Amino acid sequence: MPLRLLKYGLSRDYPVTGDIPATPELKPSYDVVIVGGGGHGLACAHYLSKYHGIASIAVLEKGYLAGGNTARNTTTIRSNYITQEGVAFYKEGVSLFETLSQELDFNVMFSQRGQLTLAHTEATLRAFHLRAEMGKHMGTRTEVIDAKEVEKLVPELNMDRGGALEILGGLWHADGGTARHDAVAWGFAAQASRRGAEIHQRTEVQGFEVGNGQVRAVVTNRGRVACGSVLIAAGGMNYDVAMMAGVELPIRCYPLQAMVTQPLKPWLHTLVSSVSLHTYLVQSSRGEIVIGGGSDPYQLYSTRSTLDMKEHLAEGAVHLFPFLQGVRLLRQWAGITDMTPDYSPIMGASPLANLWLDCGWGTWGFKATAVAGKRLAETIAKGRVPDLLKPFALERFEKFRLLNEMGATAASH
Amino acid sequence: MKLLDCPMNGPRNIDEFQSFGPLRQAPDADAAADAEWARHLFRADNRKGVVVEWWRHVPSNFFFLAQRDVVTNEIIRTYAPGSRP
Amino acid sequence: MTRLGTPYGSRLDRTRPVRFTFEGKAYHGFAGDCIASALAASDQWILSRSFKYHRPRGIMTMAGSEANTLVQLPSEPNVPADLTPLQDGMMVTAQNVNGSLENDRDAVIDRFGRFLPVGFYYRTFMGPRQDSWLRFWEPMIRRKAGLGIVDVKAQHLSFDKAHLHCDLLVVGAGPAGLSAAISAAQAGAGVLLCDDNPEIGGSLTYRRCDPGILLSLAAEAAKLPNLRIMTGTVCNGWYEDNWLPLIRGNQLYRTRAREVILATGAIEQPAVFRNNDLPGIMTGGAVQRLIRHYAVQPGRRAVVLAANDDGYDAVLDLVEAGVELAAIVDPRPNASARGGEFRARGIEVLAGARIEEASGTRANKHVARVRAGSRWIDCDLVVASVGSVPAWQLSCHAGAKVGYDEARARMTLGMPEGAAVRLAGVVAGKSPLQSAMADGRRAAREALERLGHGDLPDVPNECKPEPAAWEQPLVGDAKGRDFVDFDEDLQVKDLRNAVKEGYRELELVKRFSTVGMGPSQGRHSALATARIVAEATGRGVGEVGVTTARPPAGPEKLGVLAGHHEPLERRTGLHARHLALGARMKPIGAWWRPYFYGPEDRSDRLVREEIAAVRNGVGMLDVSTLGKLEIRGPDAGSFLDRMYTMAHANQPVGRVRYCLMLNEMGTVIDDGVAYRLADDLFYVTATTGAVARVQADMLFWNAQWRLKVDVLNVTAAFSGINVTGPKAREVLQALDCDIDFSRDAFPYLHGREGMLAGVPVRVMRIGFTGEVSYELHCPSSYALALWDALFKAGKPHGLRPYGLEASRMLRLEKGHILIGQDTDALTTPDELGFGWAVSKRKPFFVGKRSIEMRTRLGETRRLVGLSFEGANNIPGESCLVLRGGNPVGQITSIGFSPTLGHPIALAYVHIDDAAPGSKVTVKCRSGELVQAPVVGHAFFDPQNVRQEM
Repeated sequence: MPLRLLKYGLSRDYPVTGDIPATPELKPSYDVVIVGGGGHGLACAHYLSKYHGIASIAVLEKGYLAGGNTARNTTTIRSNYITQEGVAFYKEGVSLFETLSQELDFNVMFSQRGQLTLAHTEATLRAFHLRAEMGKHMGTRTEVIDAKEVEKLVPELNMDRGGALEILGGLWHADGGTARHDAVAWGFAAQASRRGAEIHQRTEVQGFEVGNGQVRAVVTNRGRVACGSVLIAAGGMNYDVAMMAGVELPIRCYPLQAMVTQPLKPWLHTLVSSVSLHTYLVQSSRGEIVIGGGSDPYQLYSTRSTLDMKEHLAEGAVHLFPFLQGVRLLRQWAGITDMTPDYSPIMGASPLANLWLDCGWGTWGFKATAVAGKRLAETIAKGRVPDLLKPFALERFEKFRLLNEMGATAASH
Repeated sequence: MKLLDCPMNGPRNIDEFQSFGPLRQAPDADAAADAEWARHLFRADNRKGVVVEWWRHVPSNFFFLAQRDVVTNEIIRTYAPGSRP
Repeated sequence: MTRLGTPYGSRLDRTRPVRFTFEGKAYHGFAGDCIASALAASDQWILSRSFKYHRPRGIMTMAGSEANTLVQLPSEPNVPADLTPLQDGMMVTAQNVNGSLENDRDAVIDRFGRFLPVGFYYRTFMGPRQDSWLRFWEPMIRRKAGLGIVDVKAQHLSFDKAHLHCDLLVVGAGPAGLSAAISAAQAGAGVLLCDDNPEIGGSLTYRRCDPGILLSLAAEAAKLPNLRIMTGTVCNGWYEDNWLPLIRGNQLYRTRAREVILATGAIEQPAVFRNNDLPGIMTGGAVQRLIRHYAVQPGRRAVVLAANDDGYDAVLDLVEAGVELAAIVDPRPNASARGGEFRARGIEVLAGARIEEASGTRANKHVARVRAGSRWIDCDLVVASVGSVPAWQLSCHAGAKVGYDEARARMTLGMPEGAAVRLAGVVAGKSPLQSAMADGRRAAREALERLGHGDLPDVPNECKPEPAAWEQPLVGDAKGRDFVDFDEDLQVKDLRNAVKEGYRELELVKRFSTVGMGPSQGRHSALATARIVAEATGRGVGEVGVTTARPPAGPEKLGVLAGHHEPLERRTGLHARHLALGARMKPIGAWWRPYFYGPEDRSDRLVREEIAAVRNGVGMLDVSTLGKLEIRGPDAGSFLDRMYTMAHANQPVGRVRYCLMLNEMGTVIDDGVAYRLADDLFYVTATTGAVARVQADMLFWNAQWRLKVDVLNVTAAFSGINVTGPKAREVLQALDCDIDFSRDAFPYLHGREGMLAGVPVRVMRIGFTGEVSYELHCPSSYALALWDALFKAGKPHGLRPYGLEASRMLRLEKGHILIGQDTDALTTPDELGFGWAVSKRKPFFVGKRSIEMRTRLGETRRLVGLSFEGANNIPGESCLVLRGGNPVGQITSIGFSPTLGHPIALAYVHIDDAAPGSKVTVKCRSGELVQAPVVGHAFFDPQNVRQEM
């Protein structure tokens, strides 16, 4: 038994660690105001307070801590993107997860058991080769494997030999994995608040006081706070929040739905996704199979779930693993994703000098929680954007320097 | 399954339809500055509230407009292009 | 144990015994039994081991409200034993057991519980090494995780879907639902009434009540032909616009209801005290179901915790069923007036007391005694009747908000104004029986009004206010094991400690402690959780509420949702000929296409031969999968001018032009050819996979432009065969035809219509191969006739059908691009070197403004031909093109050209390296670098002489 558990067993009363302090009174001003108490915002607070000596931080969260997309995503962590810029960024993201439990002294359960993406068409295989070549070039573990190797890796798969959805091969990404999403946010929150950052739950941003090309203050339902810098990291609400500051982002919001089965004894040990079927599956440490897919087909700010999406995801899951027919579904849910035109985030400067963006995370934000937090903390502290983030600037759209990631995101997140 | 009231075909399951996104007024291509043109290309109406958007009834290929509240998902009205909303 | 006599056992057919096994031991029950009742009748009370502590668990609610009753069938995990009908030959085993159900080695975990507090796993298992979690701790936890075992070799089962429509759907055929359905059907509405139980009646079938009520309701219902009753049918969700999945067995009914009444009743809650999970401790409803439905005597000596009248009803039922009553414990300070009645019968009533603790037989296999105050009372059955909560799930899907009536200690549901559904009966807080039935009639009247039924009689409000419920104390036993969530093994202190750690919002308590996340999704834990969190955070219970209820209301099989699904598949009209010729067929998108003709093991040679046939003689290719559009109308020419980059308005009739389509961003999204058949009619081809989108885009643009034009997708109506090669003309001229195929009469990029061998054809002189090519399109019903005629006429000329593999190399030798393979989401015409295909004179076409802007911003890459003549290493598709060690592009197409005798490729290279003669570096899949010279687009016949001969 690990020694730390003795503390609990041998204490008369439960020894409270106190991960999340109760929401304090709002102060009149902070050096940094972070809009959005999700993983990204909390990570930024952690890195600012731990590595940049900034403790005057307010993280403003409209609802409860990390209750947006941090709570709703399906926890994939990977770096098998297409572009050099994308792979470089997400690679750092993966490597931060490898030491995150130690960094936070909170077990985020980073489970690096690999991700297998399936190709049912030659076109998909070709796209996989590009991702593998870029991945290898950038020093990640990404390779194309053939159908035999796929079968060896996940023998339970329906290979559909000779069928319309025959598995021709796969993209095997040994660096891929999952983490306990809530724990990531809580770990960052606990660390940041221990260093003085304040987390304000049920604190809704209602506007910004802007003057002279700067944000002067943030107006909330609990009062006004003056600010040195502001970071927008509000997930599905990014467009809405940025508009309050007069910044129009190239973002459209779509719900993304996912679902989970009852707990089963673990049999699926890697992430499996299929591009053609728009379905992915992963089995959590609780034994539940988490099933997800693509976004909803039209814009919406509601997290309602639909039967059609559930039927579609079930079709895909049962096609890949026919024996799942008898397995029971437990829950279905949705988050609101802020999609950009090039399926890549927007990080860095905004038209306002002290307003920084951590937006456009669409369906792929969780894996970047640590790296976005770390690099945006650096950005805010130094007042300039590091090279790693430069390709993700808002201005890339005006300059037609879009990131060519359209093929690497669908159904894998 | 949500219902969408097609001005041509009446109320049908929404999976018979394809969304073509919010109605956009293209700027005069020749007069528009690059920045304005880029804005037209990449920034769609994403406000919380009622948007006017294009829909296609897939089996009949009929295109029409709908006013929809993107927070509640309530479809307020639908109408054929060219007709008065 | 013997069964009780009739009329007990309403569900049983005692003439039909059913044999089954549990944990390898033979049992028998009767048809109509559920698994749990048959086992209980044989005195087998332990059904499973709990998730975390591996404590023995058994029947608690007989209503599927907890994970305790989940068992394993050979090919189905997590089967609710208290809901699943027994079948002959069933092989049932227990889940989550290490060793045997009776002697579970993991039961030892129960003793170490204090070392494993709520969320302990977040605070440990991180060392000693950075990867210890992955290598050691997680595998250990995964071995202990989960409940049932999935059989990866399970037989494929048959599932199906259907649709139902009704005026009014009533969910729940208890007293309120039945009353509502009858009342609405009597007024003429088409009513569908569903219930998950095998019979109608709901609580009337097991609670203590006048049996005449159900008999008369059933008789009324039977008279109504417009009332359809579906029993054994679960309504598992409410979705927008009254779209509801009804599930019966392996069938999903996707149901559209104009109106919906939810009469889903209530969920009885367990009592919270130390060791409240021992087998033999159950709710009042559970014992009444066991007795009435299954004729099972639930124990021999009972203690009843009666905090309400239902508890006293249960006492009467137990006494009548021959169970000895050890005591009634009534926690209310002035015990119900009914207490006296029972004392008079010699039953001890402990007023103002409560059960504070239970203790079990050896290894906690069954309850043995309970403690009320300082009194220990021996018993083998504890019945707790401490109240219920409305079955909130479906109502919340439809927008209801959960509240809490502090004065009466009841959870409430509030449906917002204008909601699409109505609540009736107990779920709406309307009890007892007569109130619930009256409320059903009231809800029916409201629904009928909304359905437009006029002249409805007033329904008198006969609902009486519900009595206040007893609010059981949730103090938390010092020694714990007072379970709030039985699925997740969570005790009062676990939830309190979660709040102490700062997880003060209910959603955070849930996520940190996992309360409500198990198979029963909070059915038996939501109220207690809300109350504990409210007390610990100083908020009201209503303010804390329940976590968001989302579909499904109860567990549902993935097979039911997936149904019978076949991917879309399409075959061309020539499919049979390809098969007859031994073609290797493969799917491309939805279409099956021939890759080459002949056996797989000779594929390389066959493809080479097919290519040689085209270059030296003549070949033919089935191009029926090509997207085909007819653009018809007076504005057809100007419409194409707007859609494509080249000029079409001025295109003469009888001429064929290349078409290049851009999106608004200026990215190349499709190409094809346009053949002008008449002033007002173009025949346009599009990429196979893109034609549906191209047609939709065209119509979308025209919805805005309002030009006088129609766009028809005629892909399936026409089949196509491309006859190509130096001898192509000879083959066609050998056939009876009214078209002059001579070079002068029918030049390159011209089109002709006519009759060829009795087949009406549209012929275009185009081609992907760079040879003399005639693309013949005919109505699909003629496809076989045309193929056969060409095949026969071509025989003397060595005509050979060729497949997709040869076609791809033939086009690569000519440097022709494939949209989607050689282009990506950002490719511009400039990058393809397609300046020639973009009209400079047209004032407008889609994408024009953007490509002008992109040209001004500067090109960064270009698609060029690369030659690997004499190279030692040959890269594969998608290998990177490097410049100064950095990726600047990639190979999009590559292959060994048999015509040229070396590998050739198309690749994106840096714009500064795009000139022919430049050398670029390509990184092979092995990591080795290879240099390749840039050559012009066409590798073979660069002057394009051959295609125009």
